[in-house]
Amino acid sequence: MELFNLGIRSIFIDNMIFAYFLGMCSFLAVSKKVSTAVGLGAAVVFVLGVTVPFNWILNEFVLKEGALTWISASMATIDLSFLRFIMFIAIIAGIVQLVEMVVEKFSPALYGQLGIFLPLIAVNCAILGGCLFMAQRDYTLAESAVFGFGSGFGFMLAIVLLAAIRERLKYSMVPNGLKGLGITMLLTGLMGIAFMSFMGIDL
Amino acid sequence: MSAEIAEKPLVAKPAEPLLSKRRKKLVTDPLIDDNPVTVQVLGICSALAVTTQMKPTLVMAISVIFVVALSNFAISLMRNTIPSRIRIIVQLAVVATLVTLVSEFLKAFSYDMYKELSVFIGLIITNCIVMGRLEAFAMGNKPYDSMLDGLGSALGYSWIILTVAFFRELWGSGSVFGVPVFEYVSSLFGPDFKLATNGLMVTPVGAFIILGLIVWVQRTKTGYVEH
Amino acid sequence: MQQSNTYIIVYSAVLTIILGLLLSGSAQVLGPWQRDAIALDKKKQILGAVISAEKIAGMTPEDVKAFYASRISPIVVDISGKEITEGGITAEKVEIAKDYKKPAEERAYPVYIFHAEGKPDQIESYIFPMYGAGLWDAIWGYVALKTDLNTIAGITLAHASETPGLGARITEGKVQERYIDKKIFDESGALIAVMMQKGEGKNYDSDAHKVDGMSGATITGNGVNTMLKSYMGCYEAYIKSKTASKAVAIL
Repeated sequence: MELFNLGIRSIFIDNMIFAYFLGMCSFLAVSKKVSTAVGLGAAVVFVLGVTVPFNWILNEFVLKEGALTWISASMATIDLSFLRFIMFIAIIAGIVQLVEMVVEKFSPALYGQLGIFLPLIAVNCAILGGCLFMAQRDYTLAESAVFGFGSGFGFMLAIVLLAAIRERLKYSMVPNGLKGLGITMLLTGLMGIAFMSFMGIDL
Repeated sequence: MSAEIAEKPLVAKPAEPLLSKRRKKLVTDPLIDDNPVTVQVLGICSALAVTTQMKPTLVMAISVIFVVALSNFAISLMRNTIPSRIRIIVQLAVVATLVTLVSEFLKAFSYDMYKELSVFIGLIITNCIVMGRLEAFAMGNKPYDSMLDGLGSALGYSWIILTVAFFRELWGSGSVFGVPVFEYVSSLFGPDFKLATNGLMVTPVGAFIILGLIVWVQRTKTGYVEH
Repeated sequence: MQQSNTYIIVYSAVLTIILGLLLSGSAQVLGPWQRDAIALDKKKQILGAVISAEKIAGMTPEDVKAFYASRISPIVVDISGKEITEGGITAEKVEIAKDYKKPAEERAYPVYIFHAEGKPDQIESYIFPMYGAGLWDAIWGYVALKTDLNTIAGITLAHASETPGLGARITEGKVQERYIDKKIFDESGALIAVMMQKGEGKNYDSDAHKVDGMSGATITGNGVNTMLKSYMGCYEAYIKSKTASKAVAIL
């Protein structure tokens, strides 16, 4: 139940886009068509769902203060958390590469859809942000897996919805200066107001 | 090596002054005409979350200036030795190291700011401006020029987020840099007068709307139209 | 320009070593300052329960340390109220945030006793730490109880990421002042704690267990309520043992 609650929270309330502005770059750049938005969203769900638990293992057994006690009790005072940023980003880049190779090998059709987005994702703030939040909030392994997938779905939901709106937007008269980024930001703001109504849901 | 040949024309003019016209342009272009945020649509991610108050925003801006300028400089120094196949990961490693330095430094000397910015300092790593400038400029230009280019882009980014923060703090909390402006202004008009703050401004929604409006104003002025 | 595999491997190895040295070097050099900053931050928070935030802001780090050293004597107790002394445990070493995940019986509970300057017998108040969940993330704080161990002398609250202007207002002096002189236990000695109410602007002066809420931040308020009540519950045995021994002393 706790986990389910966390899942719901990470999708609707702690939404990567609307609450933390993470992954905005790809959110704005790849939201012109619903089909590509679905592709990117799926890739983010996948990568976040894999990297957050993976980085949890890294954090728990290598980086955290006293994490190395499983090697020898004398290492309890070692604190490698200053390596957190560089290790997390390396793991993310590595996993993205790995995912790319695995998907290419076993599912060429999926690769065709996700392929071009995967390299983009290594530098997507949502992924690193998810991992850092995981470390900061001291999640357990199960929680971090749920949080990873949940945040991914939250991002996907946001980008697909925005893409759907932007497809319709083609038929409206937008002032020149507002075209593109401007109107998209305002739209995101309005969508954020809608998402705020989920605030305070506690299951 | 090919990269060295490509830059020969630049090396041919050794007497270029430290702040030549071309170099000034490197810094000033990204401020308005080629602003990384409003025109190139880069680096919005980590920026907006900290813009509820001016103070953390200023620290964030300084951190970004430091990271972008120095990583541009470092990568440009290394550009001829970096193996192209592991280019991205080398860049990420350098950036992550610089960001870690910033974060460790803040933790030691300004712990309050460190707590307030929390994960968003780390997210400078994935700020698209950093990687964007490395790929687009530092990999093909000399160190000093690259540093100026990084400085320009980071300054362009900084004034945008500071502007957003100014309006969000003013309307959201009624203060500027923590100074209660609204309270003061209200007191000028007598005891019953109270300027109300708008709660929406401190939520993420406020940031989106303010930024959207800044983009509108800025693009109307420069005449830039996106299709 | 396509380099050989050997070049790439050597290059990454060298880069890793250089960056690794740079990072561990900086962590080593800055480490003492960081630990200092963290310890100072904790002391400021503890003192926040008994002196005003403006006063703390006006103090230099040395002032804070000296004030803390001369006025606070910390002890650690367990859930049954007994003081823990073995195992080299000190109040400074207990991390409430980490203990929060453990079952209540296994946690260590620090108590910071605030006394008159240089006189550890002349107690002014007892400061208890607490930790819980707000709307978005963790909230924590310290509550100081007067010598009757019932009346609140002061409270300080902090948060990781409550909504600025709404839930984040728990850090404001105006909100924290509302708790002063409220009571934790009712006349029969049952634990009631102090409940922040929904909505804002009502007067709860007549009710010792209620304080005015923060409009738009009911969930953060509920988080504070739960936190206060659960931690007061954990300290109940200690508080009861103290008040009982005091009653005996008066007799």
